[in-house]
Amino acid sequence: MNRNATAFLKEEYEDLVNKNLDWKLRTLESASTPHAVVDGKKILMLCSNNYLNLSNHPRLIQAAVDAAKKYGAGSGSVRAIAGTMKLHMDVEKKLAKFKHTESSLIYQTGFAANAGLIPQLAGEGDVIISDELNHGSIIDGVRLCKADRAVYKHRDMGELEKVLKDADKKYRRILIITDGVFSMDGDIAPMDKIVKLANEYGAMTYVDDAHGEGVIGPEGRGIGAHFGIEGKIDVEMGTFSKAYGVVGGLVAGSQDLVNFAYNKSRTWLLSGSHPPAVAGAQFAAIDVLETEPQHVKNLWDNTKYFKKELKSMGFNTGESETPITPVIVGESGKAKELSNSLFAEGIFALPIVFPMVARDKARIRVMMNAGLTKKDLDFALEKFEKLGKKLKIIQ
Amino acid sequence: MVLKVGFTVNPIAGMGGRVGLKGTDDVFDKAVSLGAKSVAPEKAVETLNEYRSNFSNKKDTIHWFTCSGLMGFDELKKVDAKKIEIVYTSDSAKTSSDDTKKACKIFLEKKVDLILFCGGDGTMRDIFDVVDKKIPVLGIPAGVKMHSGVFGVNTRAVAKMLHEFVNHTLIVGDVDVMDLDEELYRKGEWKVKLFGVAKGIVEPTYIQVGKTVFESVSDDEVKDEIAEHVIDEMNKYNDFLFLMGSGGTIDYIAHKLGVDNTLLGIDAVYNKKLVAKDLNEEGILNLLKKYSKVKIILSPIGAQGFILGRGNLQLSPPVIKKIGLDNIIVVSTPSKLISTPFIRVDTGDKELDRLFVAKEFMMIIIGYRLSRVVHIQTNNF
Repeated sequence: MNRNATAFLKEEYEDLVNKNLDWKLRTLESASTPHAVVDGKKILMLCSNNYLNLSNHPRLIQAAVDAAKKYGAGSGSVRAIAGTMKLHMDVEKKLAKFKHTESSLIYQTGFAANAGLIPQLAGEGDVIISDELNHGSIIDGVRLCKADRAVYKHRDMGELEKVLKDADKKYRRILIITDGVFSMDGDIAPMDKIVKLANEYGAMTYVDDAHGEGVIGPEGRGIGAHFGIEGKIDVEMGTFSKAYGVVGGLVAGSQDLVNFAYNKSRTWLLSGSHPPAVAGAQFAAIDVLETEPQHVKNLWDNTKYFKKELKSMGFNTGESETPITPVIVGESGKAKELSNSLFAEGIFALPIVFPMVARDKARIRVMMNAGLTKKDLDFALEKFEKLGKKLKIIQ
Repeated sequence: MVLKVGFTVNPIAGMGGRVGLKGTDDVFDKAVSLGAKSVAPEKAVETLNEYRSNFSNKKDTIHWFTCSGLMGFDELKKVDAKKIEIVYTSDSAKTSSDDTKKACKIFLEKKVDLILFCGGDGTMRDIFDVVDKKIPVLGIPAGVKMHSGVFGVNTRAVAKMLHEFVNHTLIVGDVDVMDLDEELYRKGEWKVKLFGVAKGIVEPTYIQVGKTVFESVSDDEVKDEIAEHVIDEMNKYNDFLFLMGSGGTIDYIAHKLGVDNTLLGIDAVYNKKLVAKDLNEEGILNLLKKYSKVKIILSPIGAQGFILGRGNLQLSPPVIKKIGLDNIIVVSTPSKLISTPFIRVDTGDKELDRLFVAKEFMMIIIGYRLSRVVHIQTNNF
């Protein structure tokens, strides 16, 4: 048949452009620091996930350089064949110790962890129970397997128990999956209650703590530590790309889990392992968290100050319990307008609009950072106040 | 783009309510003699005012096609709407259901994008008689009976829906047309039944296709997923008889199966083949003697989310008891669950209703292998 095999590429892209839905990439021309250069403009960075500013920490940079010099630029293979270096094993050991779990496993990315592990944990005849606001990479992981899916209302433990009660009779395995810190609102899953319910009904628990690792819990040890239930969550999944300041997905749990994943998780088995520089920096990141508590403290001090000031100006910052600070402005158009005006004033903060969030809850999502000074925060607050009044978001 | 909206008010809708009548369909004179006052024109003005001042920024993005006097024009004038065209004038000062129907015929000819009406279930049925599924309909609630799925919960909600339809953030989907079962009513029973499935405006379902990019999915795509799920269940339980309930979603599933289904009735399917059509209670009970393993597929009907007791009285208490509560599969599009966050039962048997309520909730199928918790309520407590 005579057909244009690739015409759809252009057509579908142009359709997105026409609907103003295409992803417009902004280019960083400096390091990802609180003061950065984006598309040639000096800005204050309020939308990176580099919560602790560790990506620029001298010890991480030095560790990356040292590892590259000693072990080279690449690892040469997938982990399963010849790509497991002592460096990788050292990071996994250190991470398990830090997380107070029996074992741990590093994936190439957080997405690879979800997409590679979830489909192995549940299959036909099983059910995956999921919070309705779970992140896209969890949803994709769930789609890859043959298990049934049941959704409960956001953080509603009454509904979760109902689903468990119903599932208990019908299924072989039950897997409860939730975000740890929810990325749009900055609220935290009640993991202690989820684990308790899971134990009552013989269900497995899986938490995606991408926004909680390095942020919540003592020393930033994540959601298990936050609730004092370390080692009790079956799968604590997280990422090295946010607060840890590097890249890579992580899974902490039992030795059985790690042995299972080593052999069954296809994203892990079929992707090249991290370059030595990455593994070196990951090791140093955990070391910094263990020895320099000031970063986590600064992050929380900044968060508290920024939220308090925004609230006193009359902004609605939602239900956030973490450094994710939504500034809720209402209609989508207004959020986009505020984001553009902020950028013109030298502040980089992205709008989040429907259907990511409810129609009347469009917002600017501010990501706090330990590297911001009081002067930086006051500068940002002043701009928020000025533009908030101009756009009639506050009085 | 300017949207063409057909606008009609049934000035006498809702008049029976305050004087204790079940509607004004046939008893207008009696209602007036009992002191009934006209309520619909007021509700219509309220909605139009909400729309113009709170949602449309007084921009005139709607071209109104309407009827003379209180059937639409007076209300639009009152809120200073522009671009009004009177396309129908009633001969009589006392308007009737005939006037609604005639106006709708003209709306069809004018190819309006939406019919906005103010009235109750009776008015909706008149519109449905003429319009069928050709044009989406949105109702301002002003009647005595408002069981149909076309109504917004209040005037503000209707104004908001209109605004969102104009801005293409709401889409066209199925809504149930419900009204009093007149035959039973004459026998002294107050039961509401399903008269058909019309087009209304609904909240779309979204799927994430990029990082922050979502695509809205049409009602039919969601129903495709639900149908696939049900067909999988039929393959799995291939020794079960499946009773197919009434309503648009189940009708859609049946068509996917290649079964000539009765939209408003109960059909029976075995091994994915139709074995009986439009069954009454006796017919179902006879089948239950022959088939010991049976599942029923139901969907919430009407604005209040009834799965039993509205439009499916054939599924009587003896039928349900025989089949068993655990063999009921409830399916629904997610958009329908937004407007009916509860499911309700009204089987006519209080003991049976209590059994449902004791369950507290059901897992409702909302997509392929995807379910969610929905709470159960009953009318009788």
